[in-house]
Amino acid sequence: MQPLLNDLAMMSQAVLFNIYFAAASIPIGFVLAVFLALGKASPNPLINWLSRVYIYAFRGSPLFIQFFMFYSLALSLNLAVWKPLGISGFVLHPLFMGPLVLILNTAAYTGEIFYGALRAVPRGEVEAAKAYGMSRSQQFRHVIWPNLIRLAWPAYTNEVVFLFHATAIVYFALPVIGAQADLMVTAKTLFERDYNAFLHFSVAALYFLAVSLVVFFLFGLVYQRLMRHMPAPPRMRFKPKWIR
Amino acid sequence: MNDDIAFWLSYLTNGKHLAWYASFQFTIFAALMGGGLAVVFGLTGATLKNSRFLPLRLIGTIYSSIVRGVPDVLFFLFFPLAFEQAVEWVVASQICTPESIAAQTSAWPPCKEANWFLGTTEYLLLASVSLGLVYGAFATNVIHGALRSVPTGQLEAARAFGMSPGQVLWRIQIRQMWVYALPGLSNVWMLVVKATSLLSLLQIADIVLWADRLGAPNFLPAVGLVHEDWRWRYYLVLFVFYILVTWLSERAFEAITRRVGKGILSEARV
Amino acid sequence: MKKIMLAAIAALALGGSAMAQETVRIATEGAYAPWNFLDESGKPAGYEIDLAGAICEKAGLTCEFIVNDWDSIIPNLLAGNYDAIMAGMSITEERLQTINFSDEYFPPDPSRYVALAGENINFEPLAGARIGVQGGTIQAAYAQANLATDNTVVSFSTADQAVADLSAGNLDTIFADGAYVDPIVSASNGAIEYTGPEIMIGEGMAIGLRKDETELTTKLNDAIVALKADGTVDSLIAKWFDGRGPYYSE
Repeated sequence: MQPLLNDLAMMSQAVLFNIYFAAASIPIGFVLAVFLALGKASPNPLINWLSRVYIYAFRGSPLFIQFFMFYSLALSLNLAVWKPLGISGFVLHPLFMGPLVLILNTAAYTGEIFYGALRAVPRGEVEAAKAYGMSRSQQFRHVIWPNLIRLAWPAYTNEVVFLFHATAIVYFALPVIGAQADLMVTAKTLFERDYNAFLHFSVAALYFLAVSLVVFFLFGLVYQRLMRHMPAPPRMRFKPKWIR
Repeated sequence: MNDDIAFWLSYLTNGKHLAWYASFQFTIFAALMGGGLAVVFGLTGATLKNSRFLPLRLIGTIYSSIVRGVPDVLFFLFFPLAFEQAVEWVVASQICTPESIAAQTSAWPPCKEANWFLGTTEYLLLASVSLGLVYGAFATNVIHGALRSVPTGQLEAARAFGMSPGQVLWRIQIRQMWVYALPGLSNVWMLVVKATSLLSLLQIADIVLWADRLGAPNFLPAVGLVHEDWRWRYYLVLFVFYILVTWLSERAFEAITRRVGKGILSEARV
Repeated sequence: MKKIMLAAIAALALGGSAMAQETVRIATEGAYAPWNFLDESGKPAGYEIDLAGAICEKAGLTCEFIVNDWDSIIPNLLAGNYDAIMAGMSITEERLQTINFSDEYFPPDPSRYVALAGENINFEPLAGARIGVQGGTIQAAYAQANLATDNTVVSFSTADQAVADLSAGNLDTIFADGAYVDPIVSASNGAIEYTGPEIMIGEGMAIGLRKDETELTTKLNDAIVALKADGTVDSLIAKWFDGRGPYYSE
């Protein structure tokens, strides 16, 4: 019992790093994703092509490689760009690089979700909005966006949980500052001390599971609010999907 | 100019680079084996979930939700370690004598004879199995859904022919569900492919490890070509490689879906 | 049926370890020139690989090198994935708690700070600096214990990555084995130079072994003693470390 409690205590600090990585990347990734989805649906060939390529590239390659690539790329620009700007230590800090790559990655996945939802927005409603003489921005704000976010919310919840899981590899790919350690690094260090794989990895898994459940719960509340106009608001359950 | 080309050609074909190219085999093997096993575990999980016997149904459900509730990398690291220790424990219970247990000074395994050496081959197999287990949980859901998509008329007809429930499952339901499972399985395959980038975490000298070693800055002529930090170029190659694999897989799955879906998908979509 | 399966697994594992007894598997990092690195042909090479060849020949053993990341090199030794470590590993009290060491094959050597040329770092006291180390090394332990409160200690998984970050100006200094940075300083044409004090940590480098491998330890030690006496160790050190030594023979 004591070792279990020890692990729980040790990892309660570590989980904050994972939560930080996820929390820092979700809002910006969300905004970027909206632009990517609109870009992918845009009639402008250049914007359309760029958004498509971006989404395809980041969804089609492993996050692990993206971490390595962007860190070493940022490093090679250090003397020419970051140093003169005086932001060297900041840009290459894992607490900045980690969320940055996660943002680039999740924006692509979320962008694809939003694009799918955008295409599912009922045409009739958009046409009605046009017939009312709404401007394009009015159409987006009053008709397309509310539909889009409701359609996309369950899949987006899922993506947020995946993003949280993806924070597990940040410190496997980036240099570690001081004694900072996230859940995976802590579990691995503890394991290497006494070989109790079952204990340490299970506790880390427990933390991941617990935070995932909290995410599902909070996002479920938002979903209920989004769907409050429906006669029987659909409930979201803990059900990680197979798609990412 | 010609000298340049000759130089780069010989640099890119030196033994270190050849070893890098050769290491793609690990990635490809792990992807194929992991993908295949994911389908096997997915079928098992889905059959369990469909079972009429409650405990089996629970096992299927718990398997698919727990594994998907934790990061793939965690399970990927945990499973080989746990499996190794489990095997050593079983072996130890069979062969360890009290003397050999007493002679053992380190914490694990219980006696020296029970130790199991893990080399690249063993790790690669274990890595493939853990990929299979993780993404089998995703495939469970895909196949579970696909099994339900098989038109009930087909199953009723089979029962009317006097087939046993097992026969209905194996001969009709599973044969016909592939068409409905393909889009989902294609997604699972993409996830498996991307997860193969984690092989180096299990001490397999895979493409990622070689990219790091080849790209690392070198100052010593004895070690090889003296160059500054070239890592991002090597990672860019891997980045493009994975995108290409994704693209090829998509085309392949499209072709398969078109072929096996002839006459079925068009009806189902009416 | 269950019994048969268990027996089969046992036989498999036994067969595995019985076969493994014939060759001694030595783990190395393959990223710590001149001790060990992967040469142009992609195979391990360097001082330790040459030395292992000589030791194994002397001791009548067949040896084989396995490349393993530095950060998990001791755990995987203890887990039994190989029998020995030759990876520029210094003898320390902390490591002696989990593993054994053979006789040293590389003498205690001061650890050094290096920095980009022209960076004037104040070492009295060292404060506010970004110090790069390789994680899990004696230098990392020293920096964590003595420098971490006033400085930022950045750990990398290989020493080469730390050098890359130093060259790119992301670190003020690297703290590493003197004999590791020596060739880098001299090959950098003045771009990277020594700075700060020399600090003596570690008690020389040796082969890391599991504590229960007494027989293998004795065999290797006998060979090391013989090779030190006949000058082989010194000549290999001189060959790989730019004429250093002699340390062990007259």
